[in-house]
Amino acid sequence: MFQSVDDVIQKLGQQDYICGKDIATVVYLAAKLEKPVLVEGPAGVGKTELAKVVARATGRPLIRLQCYEGLDEAKALYEWEYSKQLLYTQILKEKFAETMAGATTLRDAAERVGREDSVFFSDRFIVPRPLLRAISADEPSLLLIDEVDKSDPEFEAFLLEVLSDFQVTVPEVGTLEAKHRPLAFLTSNDAREMSDALKRRCLHLYIDFPDEELELRILETRVPGIEQRLAEELVSVMQRLRKLDLKKTPSISETLDWARALLALNARELGEELINDTLNVILKYEGDIKKTQGEIGRLIARRSTGGESEGGDTGASESPAPSSPPAPPASSVKRGVLH
Amino acid sequence: MQQKIIAFANLLRKSGMRVSVAESLDAFVALDELSIGDREIFKDALRCTMVKRSDDIPTFNELFDRYWSAFYDQLREAFEQAGENAGDALDIEALLRAVEQGMEQLPPGSLDLSELAKVLLSQDLNALEQLIRQAAREAGTEKIENMLQIGFFTRRTMEQLGSEGTGEQLRSLAGQLRESGLSDAEADALLAMFERFMEALRRSVRNYTERELEQHNFDYMEKFRRESLLEKSFYNLSEEEIRKMREVVARLAQRIKNVLSIRKRRLKRGKLDLRTMLRRNAGHGGVPFELLFRERRKDRPKLVILCDVSSSVANVSRFMMQFMYSLQECFTKIRCFVFVSELGEVTPVFKDKDINDAITKALDGGDVINVYTRSNFGQAFHIFWRDHLAAIDNKTTVLVLGDARNNYNDPRAWCLRDIHNKARDVLWLNPESPSAWGFGDSVMDKYLPHVDVAEECRNLKQLSKIVDRLLL
Repeated sequence: MFQSVDDVIQKLGQQDYICGKDIATVVYLAAKLEKPVLVEGPAGVGKTELAKVVARATGRPLIRLQCYEGLDEAKALYEWEYSKQLLYTQILKEKFAETMAGATTLRDAAERVGREDSVFFSDRFIVPRPLLRAISADEPSLLLIDEVDKSDPEFEAFLLEVLSDFQVTVPEVGTLEAKHRPLAFLTSNDAREMSDALKRRCLHLYIDFPDEELELRILETRVPGIEQRLAEELVSVMQRLRKLDLKKTPSISETLDWARALLALNARELGEELINDTLNVILKYEGDIKKTQGEIGRLIARRSTGGESEGGDTGASESPAPSSPPAPPASSVKRGVLH
Repeated sequence: MQQKIIAFANLLRKSGMRVSVAESLDAFVALDELSIGDREIFKDALRCTMVKRSDDIPTFNELFDRYWSAFYDQLREAFEQAGENAGDALDIEALLRAVEQGMEQLPPGSLDLSELAKVLLSQDLNALEQLIRQAAREAGTEKIENMLQIGFFTRRTMEQLGSEGTGEQLRSLAGQLRESGLSDAEADALLAMFERFMEALRRSVRNYTERELEQHNFDYMEKFRRESLLEKSFYNLSEEEIRKMREVVARLAQRIKNVLSIRKRRLKRGKLDLRTMLRRNAGHGGVPFELLFRERRKDRPKLVILCDVSSSVANVSRFMMQFMYSLQECFTKIRCFVFVSELGEVTPVFKDKDINDAITKALDGGDVINVYTRSNFGQAFHIFWRDHLAAIDNKTTVLVLGDARNNYNDPRAWCLRDIHNKARDVLWLNPESPSAWGFGDSVMDKYLPHVDVAEECRNLKQLSKIVDRLLL
């Protein structure tokens, strides 16, 4: 599937997913060892996206199981189609009468019905849910169990069984074994800690917020139209923003949303006012927005001074920003934006 | 290599991570699949197979650097320095080449070099590292316990390496080379270089020994710190510790919630509800297409918390409130009162505020009471009895947090008796140990008859135990 770790990086890169060696190593090992991967990390860093991209890169069909509180085996594995069974018995009533004809005792009648058991407990009446679909698929698939932390601990125990040997027992039909072991990705937002038993069966991958360089590369890949300078400013503001004590720290997906919003607004550079107006794209809590509004001046101020010193170091490879002269930062930047 | 990984897994375990045998086996298998030439990939492979909790990642990183690479780097540095100091006209590589040529000319069998000497001459630091590790193992360095043993184990490791014999061999090699045509200057430089090599070796071994000691101490310290936070008394917490404690409380609360959700689920589905089902399925000609089950009623308690917020118990109150509000969905209703001598309700504060802000505000009296007075439990209970007794019914659990130090006021235990009669149960958490109850101005003994459970609650461990029992 993959030749090497670098091959993973390259193949995911072709699908516009930029990742470092850490992610690639785990994906490579998962494919080699046929082990499920438990992906943890803050919301919006691309955990689910990773599974989707691996599916695309390997050409496997993606089977997704979204977890939620109260999810049970019937929704995840299989269910007998009760109404259909009932409907069939209703329609076949007369046929039954035929079968029964001649039965003299109750025991005899029950015996005859019993012989037809398999008609009603067969594949025809099973509704396969994602887990069963992944196991019984004819071609190798990729199973994504999303937000596994939202499921109940009880379900987790059941999942263990499936993940350890990829086989499922349906009492009436027998044991179904996977023809091809699916590649399994479990994602978790750490709403609760998963059990040790589950973790033991999985490779563990923790995706953190990307560093500045990686984030910039991701941004440029995912939002192709963006100007380099705007992208750099945006990423550096995001990096600073994450250091503030916020209720919900903005993530990669927010960076991309913001970039697209700015692109739609035809913005050419980030100013205090513009940030102020578009803050609700990246921050989802009123309290966070208020808190950040007080800091905007500092966010840009630090950026522009930082930018100056960097420019000096590299020998001004970039033309100096005409609208943000060095000091005193806050007010001058504001003025710069106004024209 | 396998041995090294096993030792590393042991190290991780000692610092409090849970690495099972199956997981270290996974690590072996994973490494088989990879080219371990790349340090980063090697590290990632170990991490994804052995470390399964994101909290442990920083510890892993630190231990990894200590264990795997740093020694090799140090070794390289030591020998690079030894090379640089060669000074003079002769650089080290030229010298080594000269030695190689010289050695070829020497009659075979005339020199008998030890493993160590060969490694030193070829400057193969990987092999040297292996030799040092092996010697250290034989010397028993992993048993090192304190600073005073560093010298001892360094010496023993050097002995195991056969350093003395090797030094001798190198010196005689220089002598032999001199006889076979090396210039005096070159031979002297060679001797000096060998000396420096031996010195670098000595330093590296010492460094290795120190490192070994550090590894041992590192994990114990970590563990100690983590445990002690659970057992640290609430009386003396720094700001930093309070902040850390908050996270611990959040985790504990989450764990309790998990357990509860299992307990609840077992009870959830009730019997088939025949009557409603028939009615619902009337449209299908009485054939029961839809099955209906009676839902069991959930038995969630109501909770009334009375918190003493005088400075002596403020921290207990703080964490108890955080606990209770993190577990809100386990209760039908929570009402929270604070008191010092007067009593007031702070429930509304929790409605429109972030939980931590709300607690800070509640501890400050929540705008309803004056916290700068002396504790008077009797009066507080009296006010509650007078104004809020109606809030209590037979599904209500009353939780009192306080040290019952009443400053010699009237305890008015009859108020608590009436509360006790109406409530499902009354729990009392006291930060003082039971042996102090009833002594001095403590009136705990007066209240005890009207309390179902009274517990000492001085640290997080006790607190979480109580919370767990409360919800059972």
